[in-house]
Amino acid sequence: MSLEQHEAKLLSAISTPGSDAAKIARGLDWIVVGILVFAIIAAYHIHMMLTVGDWDFWVDWKDRMNWVTLTPMLLVVIPAALSYPFMEKFGLPIAGTLCALCLMIGEWASRYFSFHLWTYFPMSMVWPSIVIPGLMLMDMVYLLSRNLFVTSIFGGSAVAFAFAPANWPILAPYHVPVIHMDQVVSVADLIGYTFTRTATPEYLRMIERGTLRTFGGESTLISTFFSAFVCMILYFVWWKIGEWLTNMGSTPNVLKKYVGYSDDVEKEKQ
Amino acid sequence: MAVTQDNIVKNQDIKPWKFNLKPMIICMLILVALMGTARWYQQWAAWDFGLDATDPMFDVYWMKLFWAQIIIEPILFVIFVGYMWLTRDKHLNDLAPREELNKLILWISMLVVYAFAFYFAGSLYAEQDASWHQTVVRDTSFTPSHIFLFYGTMPIFIIIGFTLFFYAITRLPFFAKEISIPLVLVVCGPFMLLPTVGYNEWGHAFWLMEEYFTVPLHWGFVFFGWSIIALGGVLVQVIKYIIDLMPKVINEKGELLS
Amino acid sequence: MNVTTVFKKTVLMLMLLIVSTVIYAHGERNQEPFLRMKTLQWYDVKWSVKNEATIKVNDELILEGKVHFFSRWPQVINKPDTIFLANATPGPVFIREESYMNEVPMIQSTGVEVGEVYDFRVKLKARIPGRHHVHPMINVESAGGLVGPGIWVNVEGDADDFVYSVETRTGQTIENLGTYATGNVYKWHAIWAAIAAFWLIWWIRRPLLIQRYLLVKDGQWGKLITLTDKKMGATLMVVIIGLLIYANSITREAYEYTIPLQGGRAVVDVVPNSDKGLITVKNKRAEYYLPGRTVTIDAEITNNHNLPIRIGEFTSANLRFINKALPYAVAGLDEGYPEELVAGASLGIDDDTSIMPGETKRVLIDATDVAWEIERLSSLLNDPDSSYGGLLFFYDSNGKRIIKEVYGQILPTFKK
Repeated sequence: MSLEQHEAKLLSAISTPGSDAAKIARGLDWIVVGILVFAIIAAYHIHMMLTVGDWDFWVDWKDRMNWVTLTPMLLVVIPAALSYPFMEKFGLPIAGTLCALCLMIGEWASRYFSFHLWTYFPMSMVWPSIVIPGLMLMDMVYLLSRNLFVTSIFGGSAVAFAFAPANWPILAPYHVPVIHMDQVVSVADLIGYTFTRTATPEYLRMIERGTLRTFGGESTLISTFFSAFVCMILYFVWWKIGEWLTNMGSTPNVLKKYVGYSDDVEKEKQ
Repeated sequence: MAVTQDNIVKNQDIKPWKFNLKPMIICMLILVALMGTARWYQQWAAWDFGLDATDPMFDVYWMKLFWAQIIIEPILFVIFVGYMWLTRDKHLNDLAPREELNKLILWISMLVVYAFAFYFAGSLYAEQDASWHQTVVRDTSFTPSHIFLFYGTMPIFIIIGFTLFFYAITRLPFFAKEISIPLVLVVCGPFMLLPTVGYNEWGHAFWLMEEYFTVPLHWGFVFFGWSIIALGGVLVQVIKYIIDLMPKVINEKGELLS
Repeated sequence: MNVTTVFKKTVLMLMLLIVSTVIYAHGERNQEPFLRMKTLQWYDVKWSVKNEATIKVNDELILEGKVHFFSRWPQVINKPDTIFLANATPGPVFIREESYMNEVPMIQSTGVEVGEVYDFRVKLKARIPGRHHVHPMINVESAGGLVGPGIWVNVEGDADDFVYSVETRTGQTIENLGTYATGNVYKWHAIWAAIAAFWLIWWIRRPLLIQRYLLVKDGQWGKLITLTDKKMGATLMVVIIGLLIYANSITREAYEYTIPLQGGRAVVDVVPNSDKGLITVKNKRAEYYLPGRTVTIDAEITNNHNLPIRIGEFTSANLRFINKALPYAVAGLDEGYPEELVAGASLGIDDDTSIMPGETKRVLIDATDVAWEIERLSSLLNDPDSSYGGLLFFYDSNGKRIIKEVYGQILPTFKK
């Protein structure tokens, strides 16, 4: 698609360094960055907290089954949807990175100001998961391939494949065994037991309780692999949803006659 | 023809370009002050008077606040949205391009305020609720966190959202000629978070009594939160709009014409 | 505009409607009376400090007693097959050091049998200064928390002085559980945030929206994403994967022995109760008189014991009505039990003489106190199931206590 005359004129105008047009265009960039940062923090965070929030809030929910399986699936959704306008309309392979960083800001603010300062939970109990590496890899695949199918398969799955390795370095210290009341528990279990959550009894934790068929005890690997499979599909579906939401267009305004437009005026113009 | 017009215009007094960010900054500061005060009030009054909804002090420190919010917010809604409508531009078809650009940029800058207000409702105060649920024994629909989340931060961004929507359809020709569907989603989707409280409370009363954050009866909030993805659509429309509008006010060298 | 206002108003009305019906939907006093009276009956509850006592940060507090799981467990909530012994304190203002049911550690959840009595013991340690309400609590899966009687405890001192250190099985000493390994968490979050920020700045430093939109439209992808961008992207990909591998390899070395989260179940055995069958209680008719805050039970009591018995106490939903004419019953009231939960007047019994061995007697028991109102038990009228439950404490002539359940329909009375 080539540019129309007025578009070509504008491109040349905003490409002139120091011109008014360039200033307006650049100022607009910064304002939009402000909108995007706050809106993405809010939308992505509310989406994550109400779908996989409990696993993210508490150190004793971060298990090998649900946390590892579900978190990447829900992580991929909004960045995939935003990948469409970012890349296809602006050529920016940053949807995943931006979402990840925004989520991190929102979560840390909440954990510190609310969980820690207001309701006194210790920081060792409420730190958020690391989500940046997987979502960045997703962006990189999109950057290098610029192809929806390739990004769905390799980028979508990267979100899942990077999740457990990204978090194990910070989670491992909490999985050291402790003997408490002659019971063996991990440090994470002990933290959960010690710092009372009035509305979260132990049984409410949706964690791996064991099955007869997790062969070799490789729960994390199995969870990751399944999650990667779902992420591939979700990336594709949500990219399409992003496309649909971006190109929704307009609908007639019945109120327009009150602001100076009437059918007659339209007709006259034509 | 175009060259001649350029020359004529250049002789006139052209106001240099300046971003009018004052309204945005003032509104952001007001929001910071409001949200900061709310947070301070929570720290101060929640632990002493907010743990037991059957305590008479709860009525004094929390329910009065709730009723004040419920009364003030619809009034503010009507004032702001009504103002936007009553002071509408009745001759939008005559709007000068430079004026149109000024208004558009002002409107975009106010979207930052909308997003900022949505941040408090969708992120900070929303997740805060998860922390407060872990402290209260006697948990009713009204808690120090619910009172600010559902009846404070949410109505605030709803008021801002509708005000900006009405600004757009009464002052910006592009949005007035036709209603932008992404814009409706960006305003109405988050608005629906408030009615979803009904689903939430019904669920907590009759369906799932235990309080964890990922319960299905919270997914209504997630669904409507997704509508903010349509912001991508608004962004694309705004950029298209500005691409059509800017050449009317600048020349090829990027200088202002009016 | 009009449509919007009407919609807004409708929503508001609906909201108020919802609000007014669920206002008392959760919580201790807010739970429906027929549920509270027929689930857990707590008794012999003792706290290691007095009501309104002042303790210091790091001081310990023990609450212990017995909890009876009502045999006519309400059909509308789950049977207590999965429960968890907890403490109803405002979040982590106290930490939970230990908890036991029938001396079995209660780190995990367990299951219990209805109609049985269990001992419980919870050891807490003060962490955050303030005036806190401390109750025992048992969470029942799908029903929520059922709260026992509570006392007020004032905690003084500085929260920063709180320490809780633990030794791991690998021999490492954790100085303070609340800050353990957080430095490592902050470090890795910061590293990843820096990498993400670098990538965003890499793009944001260039003109973004209008120019890029036009370039996309013009199909100039060579300008949009340059070879340098691609090289940087590929490099970052390698850096990210490399960093993940490196971080995991040093973690494996540092933490050789780790275990998954423990999700097992504790098993609590029932302690046999030899008193079963010694006394039978049949509810003949029960009424509550709303204006008078009175519950009257007409019961038929049969004594199968070999000694004469008398009624000493009626208790339900943590409220206690003591027969003050019976010294054993008065002595049975634990010191330090919250006063607001004990009726001021004596339990009224129309014929308070002993029930002889083998005798069956019809007795009218009258439990009157304003506490019915304060504890919101008088809202029985709003309940979809007009039934009640409670425990009757009998004492034989040697002072031995025998506890029986009493339950049945309860009828409202508006005039006397």
